[in-house]
Amino acid sequence: MKIVLLGMNHRTAPVDVREHFASDEPGALLQKLVDRPEIVEATLLSTCNRVEVVVTTENPDGAKYALYEFFARDLANGEGPAAGALEELTYLRQGREAVEHVFRVASSIDSMVVGEPQILGQVKDAYREATEAGVAGAVLSRLFQRAFATAKRVKNETGIAQRPVSVARVAVDLAKQIFETLEDKSALLIGAGDMIEAALIALHDHGLGERKVANRTVANAEALAERFGGTAHGLDELDSLLSDSDIVLTCVGGDTPLLTRARIKRSLKGRRGRPLFLIDIGVPRNVDPAVHKLDSAYLYDLDDLQEVAAANEKERRRESERAERIVYEEREQFEGWMVALQAVPTIRNLRDRAESIRSGEIDRFAGRLRLEGGQNEILEQLTRSIVNKLMHSPIAQLRDETDREAGLIRLEEARRLFGLDATSDSDRDASRAPLDDSENELGEYADAEATENVAQASPRLEESND
Amino acid sequence: MYALQYMAAALYLATGVAAVLGLALPAPKVLHGARWGLLLGAAVQFAAFATLHRLDPAPSLTDLGYAVAVMSWLAVLFTLLLLARIRLPGFVTPVAFVAFLATFGATLHRPDVIAEQTGTTIPHAHVLLASAGLAALGVAGLAGFFFLIEHRSLKKRRSVARRVAMPSLEALDRVNRVALSLGFPLLSLGVITGALWLDARSGSLWSGSLHETWMLIAWLIYLGLVVLRFVGKQGARQAAASAVAGFSFLIFAVLGAGVVS
Repeated sequence: MKIVLLGMNHRTAPVDVREHFASDEPGALLQKLVDRPEIVEATLLSTCNRVEVVVTTENPDGAKYALYEFFARDLANGEGPAAGALEELTYLRQGREAVEHVFRVASSIDSMVVGEPQILGQVKDAYREATEAGVAGAVLSRLFQRAFATAKRVKNETGIAQRPVSVARVAVDLAKQIFETLEDKSALLIGAGDMIEAALIALHDHGLGERKVANRTVANAEALAERFGGTAHGLDELDSLLSDSDIVLTCVGGDTPLLTRARIKRSLKGRRGRPLFLIDIGVPRNVDPAVHKLDSAYLYDLDDLQEVAAANEKERRRESERAERIVYEEREQFEGWMVALQAVPTIRNLRDRAESIRSGEIDRFAGRLRLEGGQNEILEQLTRSIVNKLMHSPIAQLRDETDREAGLIRLEEARRLFGLDATSDSDRDASRAPLDDSENELGEYADAEATENVAQASPRLEESND
Repeated sequence: MYALQYMAAALYLATGVAAVLGLALPAPKVLHGARWGLLLGAAVQFAAFATLHRLDPAPSLTDLGYAVAVMSWLAVLFTLLLLARIRLPGFVTPVAFVAFLATFGATLHRPDVIAEQTGTTIPHAHVLLASAGLAALGVAGLAGFFFLIEHRSLKKRRSVARRVAMPSLEALDRVNRVALSLGFPLLSLGVITGALWLDARSGSLWSGSLHETWMLIAWLIYLGLVVLRFVGKQGARQAAASAVAGFSFLIFAVLGAGVVS
């Protein structure tokens, strides 16, 4: 079984191209994809920055063709770029490269903003939709479970997601260095543009208590305040609003500073030493820089915040090197599992063949031996024991091989040496059946007991698929 | 008998090291777990105090080494109570190291003679109350010190680029306020019981010794700070600086004045 991935992202295709391939309801499309004989399982990840389809197949060449066709005909509905141009706008990954890519995407190493948390939720949604559509089976289930585990490890073991990279999030982070909690704090937002809205969303997400929006055009302030449960005011109320606000965020037009040192000094008098945090993201600046010299006032402007955001992003990229090592380790483990999975039909065939020889020979000699009573049973036990002992070593070697290349060679040799048939169609179909608990049944490939379970699980899966 | 004290000191040291690692990595879980180390250290130190009377000679609570150990133990308890109510990442670190030094120091300081027997509970009340006051005011000083660092960092606009989690200014100011409002009454009771102890020994409430003079000055300074903080309009930064300066003077009055004399 091979894993093949075809995708396009913010690095390979501009947004006006990507938007043709976006899909809100992938279930029916995926169903159509797995109806093709080359495709066994499939998932579709569609976000604003990427569209990726991951499939499992026994026929990688056929699957590649099917995927390009799926992109051009089903996803883009014939409205995207010509099929010939698709190769330049997409990337194709196979085998270990595909596995690694899925792990990197889920861990947010491949994201435009490295470490952003949304992608993991989007990958989980993609997997859930594929499962609900019945097109994600044993291999993709295992692949995505390991991808989620990898993402968790990357988040916990590296600092990739720790430092904020947007101006709004940096501002919230700063506010948390000044205030113990934002829940009982009051924010005054001066302006009603996009930057103010982004900051308001970030503050709202962190449980900010009270929100007041002040703007020259009160109607615009009202529209914004209404969306976030705040109050709207005109700029003429600034002095009274300032005295009972803890966080002030400004982004309005104007050549002279709206908040002068004298004005802030007056508002600080009634605060009994309570700190006032001012974020000035207006250009030109709305707050007199001298305000920062006042004892309880902490002023940060756009340059300060952007500098930090850029430095944090750089730091995240450095951390992504550590994350890559985790991805590598997890990929190695997954590949070991894949080898163990591929050994299952061979082990089963080997056992079946040995059993058929044993029982055939017993039948052949049963008449000549003329055994009585318990002697038949003893003969059964004896022959079974001999066969098990003979088979123990080759089976153990097949299931314990964790290196992918060596494992595949060993499987091929075993099939040739013992004269086993090629993998049957039913084995292939069994892979599409989803696993209830992949950790227990197929997870621990290196564990002998678990590998026994693998061998026992596959016939059951076949039955359930029939 | 000293084994428990060594164990408590080791636990405090391990807690301090874990907290430093938690800050430096940064590993918030390690930092959060460090408070359990502090709690365990405090429990073991309590057991150590409970068994000290079996020593021969038994060290008196009025012995300076043990008084400092008691003070650090009370500071640890006070910090644990604060940690349960206020978000103070990183605050465990200095408290753990101070507790380690005080606990380990007490094991090195073994008095040869049995302390003076007064036959009353006043000396012990004096030591316990004064130690509790010093512990609370020490925590106020520590919070003030952290506040000044954080304030400077925010003013220099360096705080946004750092990795280490620090308590917020607001949390540190709250600690300062709570510690001062608890520490000053305890210190006052310590001063009063000290005068009563002196009266029981010499028949006078005031002997004019260097320790008494400096302690009285320190108490008056703290009285001024309390008035400024709770009645006046002292800002958070001034209050933090006052807490650091006040505690430095208090330590000098308790320990330094004797050394100087």
